[in-house]
Amino acid sequence: MKIKERISPQGIILDLEGDLTYANQGVFKAAVEKAKQAGCRHLIVNMEQVRFVDSAGLGILVLVSQSFKRLQAQVSMLKPQSYVREIMSLANIPKMIPIYENEQDALIARAA
Amino acid sequence: MNLDSMKRLAPSFDSPAPACSIGGTILLVEDEPVTRASMAARLTRLGHRVLEAENGRAGLEVARRERPDLIIVDWMMPEMDGPTFCEAVRRDPLLKLSHILLMTAHDQPAQIAEGLARGADDFLSKAASKQEITARVLAGLRTSRLVRELETTGSQLESSMLLLQTKQTEMEADLQSAATFVRSVLPPAGNVVQGIELAWEYQPALTLGGDLFGVASIDAEHLGLYILDASGHGVAAALRSVSLMTFLRVENMLQLIGSYDPEKVLLEANRRFPLSDEGEYFTLWVGQLHLPTRSLSYASAGHHGVLLSSAERPSRWLTHPSSPLGFDPAAVFAGNRITLQPADRLFLMSDGIYEASSPTGEPWGRWRFQQAIETQKRSPLASTISHSFTEARRWQEQCDFFDDAAVVGLELTV
Repeated sequence: MKIKERISPQGIILDLEGDLTYANQGVFKAAVEKAKQAGCRHLIVNMEQVRFVDSAGLGILVLVSQSFKRLQAQVSMLKPQSYVREIMSLANIPKMIPIYENEQDALIARAA
Repeated sequence: MNLDSMKRLAPSFDSPAPACSIGGTILLVEDEPVTRASMAARLTRLGHRVLEAENGRAGLEVARRERPDLIIVDWMMPEMDGPTFCEAVRRDPLLKLSHILLMTAHDQPAQIAEGLARGADDFLSKAASKQEITARVLAGLRTSRLVRELETTGSQLESSMLLLQTKQTEMEADLQSAATFVRSVLPPAGNVVQGIELAWEYQPALTLGGDLFGVASIDAEHLGLYILDASGHGVAAALRSVSLMTFLRVENMLQLIGSYDPEKVLLEANRRFPLSDEGEYFTLWVGQLHLPTRSLSYASAGHHGVLLSSAERPSRWLTHPSSPLGFDPAAVFAGNRITLQPADRLFLMSDGIYEASSPTGEPWGRWRFQQAIETQKRSPLASTISHSFTEARRWQEQCDFFDDAAVVGLELTV
């Protein structure tokens, strides 16, 4: 999995590319930890280039969301592909991690 | 070789031992006694221990007995000459890594090439200066010591590898034993109660799986069933799964919540199995079948793998969006109720089967699983399940699954 980090005034955007799974969760965890250390208040996980998320990947997303909430910070998700979106919906993830269709909406939502 | 010519050609070792001298054991193989004695004396003065042999054959014996750090051997000798000696050393398992300096009065390129080809490491011209001779001896000793160190390291690595292999064998035996235990607590295939046939196929990603299921009588009229899926896989997931499996035992549920009501079971499980610090959790589907009325009540905590297959109607999924265990401490798990028909089949499966990926990374998907079941719904239950595995394997183009793959089938036979 490849992760690119972009910093905006309203938060940090992680552009993910590849699968978010048990095998490569470490890369994601490291990127999140770095954002957290940088004092990120709004982490936007861009899922546009993620084709598959397994149960372990889902667990990590929820864990990250919970840890940000404890810091009064937020995690949002951007444009998951249809298969990933189905997995997320079946596990009620959008109730915990809001999903947005474009970056601007995600950034504005937190700012509001 | 006569004495005069030998004296002329004998290298001079008259200089004192250099400050950087590293003493080693050197075997000197030389047939000419005067030259041998002269060289031995000079090497001794340089701080080395010198062993002597008057021909190649005797030299081999000394070398095998003493394992010298360096061998200096004359080219021309009766019985066994220098190059033949080199060849014999290279063939000997004990000596083959010895460092050999071949000493010769000639330094023609063709002769040097022949000596190297036959096993010498370096040459020592009998006309060489004392500085060159000292340097070549020291360089030879340094190389020899490096080779010895490599030999020792190699031998240590080999020992470590053997130890690791032994440990791995022990660990695999332990895992196999644990896997046998886990399989022993899974319900046996066949008629679980009058009118309900059970069949299943299970292939853990590793020896030990983290996805488990259970089917057991609650009382004379009720059958309890569940499938649980631990996130991740391997030993840790399997241990957590066995813990949840123990929790889900009928006797335990009756004691804790007084029934096997799926909603209540999930509520209690959600309370007791929170999301771990590493993001590990379970998904769980629980059902309770009232046998006289064929009424099935069920609820799911994030588990999407239960399909109802009917002989006369299209199959449908008995799942609804819901949170996995531990995601939300305040989660409520809505229950559902349906009435099954005779010959209906319920398939409980782990995500490992429908998330099997093609070589291009596309998951097989629940829809294709459903199709595989539909096309075989008139086959015997075990065959239908087996067919779904065959199709998943065909999709992923390999036999082993990346995640635990389980399909459990229950059929109402009357």
